[in-house]
Amino acid sequence: MSILVYLRRLFVTIKEEIIILPTKVITILFILFLLVLPVILPDSYLMRVLILAAIFAMLTASWDFLSGFAGQLNFGHALFFGVGAYSSALFNLLLKIPPAGSIPLSGLVAVLAGLIIGFPCLRLKGIYLALTTIAFPIILTGVVNALPGITGGELGLSGLDKLTGSRIGDYYIVTLLMLGSCTVMYKLTQSNVGIIFHAIREDEVSLKVSGINTTKYKLLAFCLSGLFAGIAGGVYAHFMRIAGPSTLSVSTSFTIIIYAVFGGVCTIYGSVAAVYILFPLMEVFQLLPQFRTLFFAAIVLIILLYMPSGFIQWIIDKIEKTCSRCGHKNHALRKICRFCERPFKYY
Amino acid sequence: MQLEVINLRVVFNKAMILNDINLSLNKGELVGLVGPNGAGKSTALKAISGLIAWRKKVSKGIIGGDITIDGLIVFNGERIDEMPAHKIVSNGLVLCPERRKPFREMTVLDNLLAGAFLERKKVKIKENLDIVYQLFPKLKSRTRQISGTLSGGEQQMLGIGRALMSQPRLLCIDEPSIGLAPIVRAEVFEKIMEINKRGISILLVEQEISTVFKMTSRNYVISSGQIITEGTSEKLLNDNVIRKTYLGM
Amino acid sequence: MVVDIIISTLINGSIYSILAIGFSLVFGVARIINIAHTAFYMLAAFCIYAGTNSFGLHPVLAMGAAIIFVTILGLASYKLIIEKIRVHPAATIIATIALAMIFQEIMILNFGAEFLSVPVLVEGFTVVFGVKITYQQVFTFIFMVILLISVWFLLMKTKLGLAIRATAQDRETANLMGMNESMIALVTIGISVGFAGFAGAIVIPLTVIHPHMWLSPLIIMMAVVVLGGLGSIKGSIIGAFIMGLTEAIIVFLLPMGSFLKGSVALTILIIVLIIKPEGLFGVSIEGE
Ligand SMILES: Nc1ncnc2c1ncn2[C@@H]1O[C@H](COP(=O)(O)OP(=O)(O)OP(=O)(O)O)[C@@H](O)[C@H]1O
Ligand SMILES: [Mg+2]
Repeated sequence: MSILVYLRRLFVTIKEEIIILPTKVITILFILFLLVLPVILPDSYLMRVLILAAIFAMLTASWDFLSGFAGQLNFGHALFFGVGAYSSALFNLLLKIPPAGSIPLSGLVAVLAGLIIGFPCLRLKGIYLALTTIAFPIILTGVVNALPGITGGELGLSGLDKLTGSRIGDYYIVTLLMLGSCTVMYKLTQSNVGIIFHAIREDEVSLKVSGINTTKYKLLAFCLSGLFAGIAGGVYAHFMRIAGPSTLSVSTSFTIIIYAVFGGVCTIYGSVAAVYILFPLMEVFQLLPQFRTLFFAAIVLIILLYMPSGFIQWIIDKIEKTCSRCGHKNHALRKICRFCERPFKYY
Repeated sequence: MQLEVINLRVVFNKAMILNDINLSLNKGELVGLVGPNGAGKSTALKAISGLIAWRKKVSKGIIGGDITIDGLIVFNGERIDEMPAHKIVSNGLVLCPERRKPFREMTVLDNLLAGAFLERKKVKIKENLDIVYQLFPKLKSRTRQISGTLSGGEQQMLGIGRALMSQPRLLCIDEPSIGLAPIVRAEVFEKIMEINKRGISILLVEQEISTVFKMTSRNYVISSGQIITEGTSEKLLNDNVIRKTYLGM
Repeated sequence: MVVDIIISTLINGSIYSILAIGFSLVFGVARIINIAHTAFYMLAAFCIYAGTNSFGLHPVLAMGAAIIFVTILGLASYKLIIEKIRVHPAATIIATIALAMIFQEIMILNFGAEFLSVPVLVEGFTVVFGVKITYQQVFTFIFMVILLISVWFLLMKTKLGLAIRATAQDRETANLMGMNESMIALVTIGISVGFAGFAGAIVIPLTVIHPHMWLSPLIIMMAVVVLGGLGSIKGSIIGAFIMGLTEAIIVFLLPMGSFLKGSVALTILIIVLIIKPEGLFGVSIEGE
C-alpha cells in the first residue's frame, strides 16, 4: 500500500516538477545517456574521450565552486590538479599504494595545498589575488623541473598503476565520481553555505560585521575546491598513467577558466555541460590541431562579448523563464506561470 | 537662476538615496546644504557634477551596484544631467569633493596644474596659480611637497585651490571643515567667503551649522534624501521644530 | 661572473621596467589587467622577424613598422573587445588571456613553434674584466635607458602625463578636473602597448624569438608590478631592477637556476604580499 502511495507521489513529482521543466528533462536524459552509453556503443576511443571529459568536468566544477560561488578568483587552478596528479603518482610509485588509496590521499594533499594557498589569499582581493593565484602553479612547476630526481623533471612520472584495468570499468568509476562530486558541490552551493559564499562575493565587510567568520568559509571554499580538483588530478594521473608538468601549466589553468566561462560562471551545471560540449569538439579538432587553441580562445571572446552569462545560461534563458512574482521556473512557451498564474506577456 | 535642480532622484541597489530633490541657486549666491550624516548631501553634489552618472557607466557589480539617476539639472540655461562629468567642468560647475581627495602621490603644484587641465593658455594658468597662492600663501611655500604628506588643513586648501584652478562659475564644496581644528576651520570658512566675494557662486555642504548660517544667504535642509525645508538662516534658526529635529541645536 | 650578473641585471631590469610601467599605468587608468601586455612584446619581435626576412626591410625600418603595427593592434583590441566588457573585472582578465592565446596561436600557425632569431644591429664586442660584452648589449641598454627617460618625461613633464597620472591615482576625481577618463584610457593603452612593442623591438637581437616568449616576462613583470605597488612608477622601476638582479643571481649561481628563476621571483612576490598586501611602494587602490 505504502509503496503504491510512494510510487504515486513519485509519478506526480515527475509529472509536475520534472517533465514540465526542459532543463530537468535534459539533465536526466544526459545522466541516463552517460550511464547507458557504454552498453550501446562500447567504443574504446569514445570511452576515452568521455573519461577525460568527466575528469575535466569535475575540475572545472571545482573551479566554479571556488571562483564563481565564493568569488575567490583563482587563475591558477591547475595547481590543485597538478598536486593531485603528482601526489597520487608518488604514493603509487614510491609507497606502492593502489589507486583506491592513492587517489583519495591525493585529494587530501590537494586540500593541504588549498590551505597553504588559501592563507595568503585570505588577505588579498581583486588583482592581487588574481596575480598571486597565477603564481602558485608556476612556482611549483619550477620546483618540479629543478628536482628531476623525484619528479621526473620535464618528462614527468610514468608507469602508474592502471585505474581498474578495463576501459568500461574506468568509465563507470570516473563518470560516477564526476556525477557524485558535482552533485555534492551543487547541493552545497544551494545550501546555507552557498548563501554565505554569495554574501562573501557580494559584500564581505558587512558579513564580517554581522559576526560571520568569513575566513573560515573562504578556507572551506579553498579546501573543498582543492579536494575535488585534487581527486580529478589523481584520477587523471592513474588513467593516463603519467603525471607531468603539463598538469600544472598555465594553459591548463586557462583552459579550465575557458570551460567555466563558456558554461556560465556560478552554476556548476554550466561547467559540466561546457566540458561535455567542448571537450569532444576539441577531439574533432585533433584533425587540425594547430587551430585548436585559436578556436577556443575565439569562442571565449565571443561568449564574453555576446553572452556574458555563458552559453549554457544563454540557452537556459531561451527555454525557461522565471516568474517575477513567485520565482518559480516555467518553460518558455508558457503564457502564464504554472504556480501563481501570473501572465508572462509583459516581460 | 544659475543652477536649477528639478526632481533629482538617485537610487542605489533599490535604496532611494535622493528622493525628488529640488533646489536652485542664483548667480553670486552662497547657498548652504545642511543635514544629518547620511542624508544624501554628498550624493546630491556628486549627482549634480555628473559623478553618479559616470559611476553608473563604468562599474557594474562590486560597489557600483545598480544605480538609477533621474531628474533635470540646468546650469546657465543648459541641461547638464546628461552631460559627462568632464564636460560639466568645462561649463564652469566644479566640485571640491568630500575628504579633499588630493592626488596623493603628486606634488602640490602638479595637483594645482591638474585642476587647470582644461585651460590651454599658459599665461592664464600662471595668473590663476597666482590667485590661488595669494589666497592660500601656505600652498606657495609647499609647491614641491607630495600632497599626501600635507596636513589636513593644507589638504583642504589644496582641494579648494585645485577646484579654483578649473575656473569655476559655481563651486560646490563638500564638508570643508571635516576633521579640522577650530582655528583652521575658521580660516577655511574665511577663504570661502573671500572666493564668493570674487563673484563665484558657492553651494556649500556643511555640518558646522552655526558658522554656515552666518555666511550663507539661503539654506536647504536635507534629511533621508528629501529636502525638508529651505529659507534664510534667520528663518531656519527661528523655527524651533527644524532646529530641534534636524539641526540638533 | 659579477660582470655577467651586472649586465644581465641592467638589461633585464630595464626591459621589466618598461613592461611594468605600461602594465601598471593601464591598470591604474583603465582598471584593466592586461595579461596580453607581453604578448604585444612578442608580436613586435615576430613583426621584425617577418619584416626583415620576408619583406626584406632594413632592420630599423622593420622596428618602426613593428611598433606602429603593434600599437594599432592594441588600440583595436581595446576598442573592439575590451572596452565592451570592461565593467566586469574578471571578464576583462579572461578576455585578455584569450587575446594573448590567440596572438600566440596565430604566430605558431605562421612561423611554427621553432626558435627564430634576427641578426644584431651592431656587430663587435669589447672585453671588460675578462668578460665579453657585445656592442649590441651596450646598444640595447642605452636604448632602454633612453626609452625609460622618455617615458619619464612624458609622464612627468607633459600635460598628457599629468592627466594619466591623475587618472591612475583617482579616476573619479580626475573627472572633476575635466579629464575625459575614457579618452585617457585609450591613449594610455596606445602608449603602453607601443612601449611594450618598442621594448620587444630593441631586445630581440639579444634573445630568441618564440611564440611562447611572452609567458616568462609576463610572470616576472607581474611580480615586479606587485612588488613595486600598482600604479607607482618609481616602485615599478625599483621592483624591476630588484627582480632583474634576483633573476641574474639565480641563473648564474644556482644549479638548475634557469628553471627556478620564475619560482623565486614569484615566491618573493607572495612573501611581499603576505607581509605588505599593497606592495613595497604601494598606493592602496581606492575602494571601487
Ligand atoms: N556607492 C554607494 N552605494 C550604496 N549606498 C551608498 C553609496 N554611496 C552612498 N550611499 C548611501 O547613500 C546615503 C547618503 O550618503 P551621502 O554620502 O550622500 O550622505 P551625506 O549626507 O554626505 O553624509 P555625511 O554627512 O556623513 O557625509 C548613505 O546612506 C550612504 O550609505
Ligand atoms: Mg557627505
